[in-house]
Amino acid sequence: MPDLNTKAALRPGFLSKFPKDLRIVSIISIITFLALWESIVQAGFVQPLFLPAPTMVYSDFIRLYERGEIWLHVSASARRVLVGFALAGAVAVPLGILLGASKFLKAIADPILSILRPLPSMSWIPLSLLWLGITEAQKYSIVFMGSFAPTVLYTIEATRSIDPVLIRAALNLGATRAKLMREVILPGALPPIISGLKVMLGIAWTTVISAELVAADKGLGYLIMDGKEFFRTEQVLLGMALISLTVMIIDVTFRSVEKKIIPWMEG
Amino acid sequence: MASNVIEIKNLTKIFTTKNKEQVTALQNVDLSIKKGEFVVLVGASGCGKTTLINTIAGFEKPTSGEVLLHEEPVKGIDPRCGMVFQQYALFDWKTVINNVDFGLKMKGIKLKERREIAQKYIDMVGLQGFEHVYPSQLSGGMKQRVSLARALANNPEIMLLDEPFAALDAMTRQVMQEELIRIYRESHKTILFITHSIDEALLMSTRVAVMTSRPGRIKQFLNNDLPWPRDADVQLLPRYQELKSAVWETVQEEVMKSAGLSKTAN
Repeated sequence: MPDLNTKAALRPGFLSKFPKDLRIVSIISIITFLALWESIVQAGFVQPLFLPAPTMVYSDFIRLYERGEIWLHVSASARRVLVGFALAGAVAVPLGILLGASKFLKAIADPILSILRPLPSMSWIPLSLLWLGITEAQKYSIVFMGSFAPTVLYTIEATRSIDPVLIRAALNLGATRAKLMREVILPGALPPIISGLKVMLGIAWTTVISAELVAADKGLGYLIMDGKEFFRTEQVLLGMALISLTVMIIDVTFRSVEKKIIPWMEG
Repeated sequence: MASNVIEIKNLTKIFTTKNKEQVTALQNVDLSIKKGEFVVLVGASGCGKTTLINTIAGFEKPTSGEVLLHEEPVKGIDPRCGMVFQQYALFDWKTVINNVDFGLKMKGIKLKERREIAQKYIDMVGLQGFEHVYPSQLSGGMKQRVSLARALANNPEIMLLDEPFAALDAMTRQVMQEELIRIYRESHKTILFITHSIDEALLMSTRVAVMTSRPGRIKQFLNNDLPWPRDADVQLLPRYQELKSAVWETVQEEVMKSAGLSKTAN
């Protein structure tokens, strides 16, 4: 079944997409990359100020870990992403389904969404600071504004992608409008909505980092900015590495949840 | 007249395409189907067969003319007509048994009772053991069995089948045809079946209607008096050959016409 293969290929993931013997290739690849990087710095080709070696980034990790700051920054960013993203999803998904099911409502919402969609989350930072100050709510609002419009649009697309013949079949079997929504449109749109949410979760991370780079006293974006201010390049790289790692962990978690929500997509 | 379950009077259906062109899919179609008949509508691709069945099911509205079910005009989608689609139209997120009992669930029948009914039809189409499997794990023939069981479980008075076996391989198709014949002989439902295969039409029908190419009209009716049971051996009878050439003559003319050729051209 070729469509199942493409689906597996589309799933983001680090090692799980390769067969076992190819995983070894991937592992060797990352070790070689780190070793090469380390030796270039150790040999003195690059100043550690411009590019610290992986071991220097690791010692900075230990330094912050011993001060108990790693979890502080990771959890601060993660909480901002999850709260902002959950709020955006809670509003955007039902709204998107509604707009996907009704051409009239979509006509009302379309011009507003068209205005909101191209705005980068960064452009909301001045207004959000003005309205909410340097608060947690301000961070949530940045994540919210960054993910809201794209999530609505994704959900509209997902809802409209349902094969019309399934709607005909359900109506032919006696489904009312409400039952059609619950039994056919919602579950039918769920897989593309979930893939949309996965993409949006990645984007939500970029929005929170940008918010933290501008104004924050904790979080991974703050960690990077703080490192830059004091010329601690290893701290900048540590912040970047932690972002990658956290997003990877969340991605893997999301995928295992996905399999439980949409069991029929397996096999 | 009173025994007509479906009555189509002077039905015309015109579509407007995106380029604002008007396409006449059906023109002045008349068709009456009596209770218990198995009518097979044969015609070349694109002759409006699907439009006709969709209008009976209430998915499309006539441009002019009427479709009557028991002398009442069809208003909207009518669950009295159980539809089986060529593309199966199964709900991927529901297991086989949940697909089959969908119509019963819509009627508000209690879980235990609807499971019993669904099981009966799952057994009837030979899918025991696959009750809790998702459609994505089934072959095309098995999917169409689920679709058939789903339509039957809702106990519709009329079954509308839109080229249900067209996507199946030849052997699976023959098994499915024999099975549908058996179900028809047991249930005595009124059936309208669409196909572009003359063999399929002759094997299954009590009456064959041949459609012209676009604009679709019914050009010929043929009572199919072949003996039952209609297994593959029926095809060896001389009467079968007679009927087949009668249908083929009409169909051939229409195919030639729609391909822009005249019959004398070859």
